[in-house]
Amino acid sequence: MHLDRLVTREFQGRHWSVPARVYAAPLELYAGAPVSAADLEEQLRLLHYRRGDPSKGPGLYRRVGNGFELHARRVRFIDELREPRIVSIHADGSSITSMRQGDGNDLPVFRLDPPVIGSVFPVHGEDRLVMAPADAPPLLRQGIKLIEDRRFDEHHGIDPLGIARAIWADLRAQRLVQGGSTLTQQLVKNYFLSDEQTLSRKVTEAVMAWRLEAHYSKEEILIAYLNEVYLGQDGARAIHGFGLASEYYFAEPLDELDAAEMALLIGLVKGPSYYDPRKHPDRAIARRNLVLRELFESHLIDAATAQRAAAAPLGLKPPSGSYVPAYVDLVRRDLKRDYAEADLAAAGLSVYTSLDPRAQAAAERALMQNLARLDARSRLRGAPLEGAVVIIEPNSGDVVGVVGGREVGSAGGFNRALDGRRPIGSLVKPAVYLTALESGRYNAATLIDDAPIELKLSDGSIWVPQNFDRELHGKVPLARALAESMNLATVRLGLDLGLPKVAETLERLGLPPPALNPSLLLGTVEATPLEVVRMYTSLANGGFRARLRAVRAVLDDQGRPLKTFKVEVESAAPSAAVYELDRMLMLVATHGTAREAAARLPRGLSFAGKTGTSSDTRDSWFAGFTGSYLSVVWVGYDDNRVTGLTGAQGALPVWADTVAALKPVSFDPVAPDPVEDRWIGFADGLETTPACSADAVVIAVPKDTTLPEDPNCNPSQPKFSQPATLGDKIKSWFKGNVH
Amino acid sequence: MVQGQRALIALVPALGAVGLLLAGCPSPAPRPTPPESSAPYVTPPSETPVPTLPPQRPPQPPREHHLSPATRSLVTQAHSQLSRGDVDGASLTLDRALRIEPSNPLLWTELARVRLAENDAHQAEECARKAWALAAGDLAAQTQAAHALVDALRMQGRNQDAQQIEKSMQ
Repeated sequence: MHLDRLVTREFQGRHWSVPARVYAAPLELYAGAPVSAADLEEQLRLLHYRRGDPSKGPGLYRRVGNGFELHARRVRFIDELREPRIVSIHADGSSITSMRQGDGNDLPVFRLDPPVIGSVFPVHGEDRLVMAPADAPPLLRQGIKLIEDRRFDEHHGIDPLGIARAIWADLRAQRLVQGGSTLTQQLVKNYFLSDEQTLSRKVTEAVMAWRLEAHYSKEEILIAYLNEVYLGQDGARAIHGFGLASEYYFAEPLDELDAAEMALLIGLVKGPSYYDPRKHPDRAIARRNLVLRELFESHLIDAATAQRAAAAPLGLKPPSGSYVPAYVDLVRRDLKRDYAEADLAAAGLSVYTSLDPRAQAAAERALMQNLARLDARSRLRGAPLEGAVVIIEPNSGDVVGVVGGREVGSAGGFNRALDGRRPIGSLVKPAVYLTALESGRYNAATLIDDAPIELKLSDGSIWVPQNFDRELHGKVPLARALAESMNLATVRLGLDLGLPKVAETLERLGLPPPALNPSLLLGTVEATPLEVVRMYTSLANGGFRARLRAVRAVLDDQGRPLKTFKVEVESAAPSAAVYELDRMLMLVATHGTAREAAARLPRGLSFAGKTGTSSDTRDSWFAGFTGSYLSVVWVGYDDNRVTGLTGAQGALPVWADTVAALKPVSFDPVAPDPVEDRWIGFADGLETTPACSADAVVIAVPKDTTLPEDPNCNPSQPKFSQPATLGDKIKSWFKGNVH
Repeated sequence: MVQGQRALIALVPALGAVGLLLAGCPSPAPRPTPPESSAPYVTPPSETPVPTLPPQRPPQPPREHHLSPATRSLVTQAHSQLSRGDVDGASLTLDRALRIEPSNPLLWTELARVRLAENDAHQAEECARKAWALAAGDLAAQTQAAHALVDALRMQGRNQDAQQIEKSMQ
């Protein structure tokens, strides 16, 4: 009777453990949203909307030219449960043009269903997508009984004939080889018992199956089985249930599978790894066609369907389309602070995140394409290049994409975006220059000496830093020293400011407290891509640090909000000094180490950023921001070999290709009251005009700063009244519409 | 209308002073110290010179921030949620608006208002400061942000700081 209680308690309480479902942010549609008609249809397809007559029911849409009529499904958002509704949406080649409700009234804003991006499955890896009885297609119900347990509808949990057959097989093989189990027994085995094949376990299993049948209907047991059964392995993630298997193998909901696809899934029950269609396509096809023949012989499908299905290819789709394990990894870590692992893995929570699937896809594509290109170019043997990308919206701190390595689709791998802790090289320099600007003793035009320096370290050794190009540049303005990433000038500047001051700035920007070693100034400090993003958030954000936010809210299995995570901002540095620094980081893009990115970006797009290269090119970094996103890219080898790639050669192309795919807006900050824009010569730091000097660049300095003037020019002449010589930023001022 | 404009123009130097106050407070936590004791950019408002633009400088562009129809409808919704006491709902609605226009200072001021309604004076202050920074060059938007900031400071009992900003806005 103990087993009886166990069976009822477990089965009643929670029929199966449901891992937390993780959702991306819904796509917001509004007039002017950068979503073309083609984009919209692609999004609808990804959300499993089908073409059809929308008046027939939710899930259908009709497209006429660039006009869409959509019957949106019932969908839960963080803040509302929206009932099904019909909307019409017009788009053109680049954006949404208008939207109306079903009654013809204007609709100012409308969001699509939030896409599922994964689940927080438990450590043993069980993932599933639970289906309700109504979602189980008849062919699946009939088919699974036919193949796995023909007398399911008659027996009481145990099938003596089946057992006899199994014992006969075991005797012949002199060991336990065949289960002979009913669906009920298989369910009990998966649900309550370990995997060992002993006689006593078999007895227990039989008793429990019998008790389960006594308490529950055939329908309840069948649905539980369909949700429970193991159907494949994706890295650390175990694919359980037909609902998830359908997504995993075919990227389609179960009720849209054809006979061939359904037969493949039914056939997989017998041995998901032996018949793994991705690893052993021939075995999988043979097994599928065997199932198809049985389905035909039992009149579940007709001859024509069976023949067509048997001739069909496997039709597998890559599972990475909607699953984003690297991002879900970040979500899981965020939630671990507030939730027990067991609740995340079993309590049926819904987790709503900031992920933007388009940003994620752009970053994945940019990383994979560039790594493939760089690998092909290098003749080094061994494991291929790896990389990581983190991309955020800097104002809110919303993390919109995370790529943890080149195997983007598989769970459980090493997540370089979160765990790849590497020396950040010159990415540290903006903190040195910010410290200088905040001190009030330096501005962007101040000359510093890029000259040799030797330092005696505390351990008695002598440190002799060098420039990457092994050249000396003499007296250079701060702005150029940063743009060209000069090591000697930076070390001299940092020592003048004092290491504790620089370390304090790094901490204020969100890095862990670094050791006060002079090599800190050249970036021996180690950080993960995520930590670097945190550090740069304040720079992309006018001096405000935004708390990085992957999770927006957690809802319980009834849709009630358990916790919401709000936007949080904090002043980390004075906005004026940050603006002065940002102007210098924009020179990195136009005149410095990142200027090669322009070829990959829309013409005239302005951005700010910094390249980083660790010793002997073991790590290639780029951190940069446009008006839309801040993103950090790392490229290197897992075993820390030399890559031969600078930040500009390895990470920068990945960054630029990601940005270019996202309809970027220029980084166009407004000077805060205490500072103003001025022109100086990039080489000499003297105040000049663009008409006078070919290398004139814009810097920002505190108002009323006196700059030494270029004797060959007359900077006091009006210089902002000649539109032909002005940069894009100033042109936009005159248009009077900068936002 | 003309009068309104004149009033706004009169605010220019005064708001400059608010800007100095704002720029001088990169404090990570609420601090009771008066702002003039903190960072290099702080000048007491009375000593702030009226900014005059030297002729050779670019004319500072007048920036005007607006809400798009989409974010306006969400802000309207947030207002009605606030008026029925649904502060959580208002917060989530503004979160949605910020996804559409993350750098619009008007939305950050709205967020500061919601944080006030949540009695989160510290975040209200930070959001108002951020709104102020984003609104550089837009007098109307900066004025809104400054009002929210004053309320946030008062909620923290920092009346002296609040008065200083109010005085400079008169």
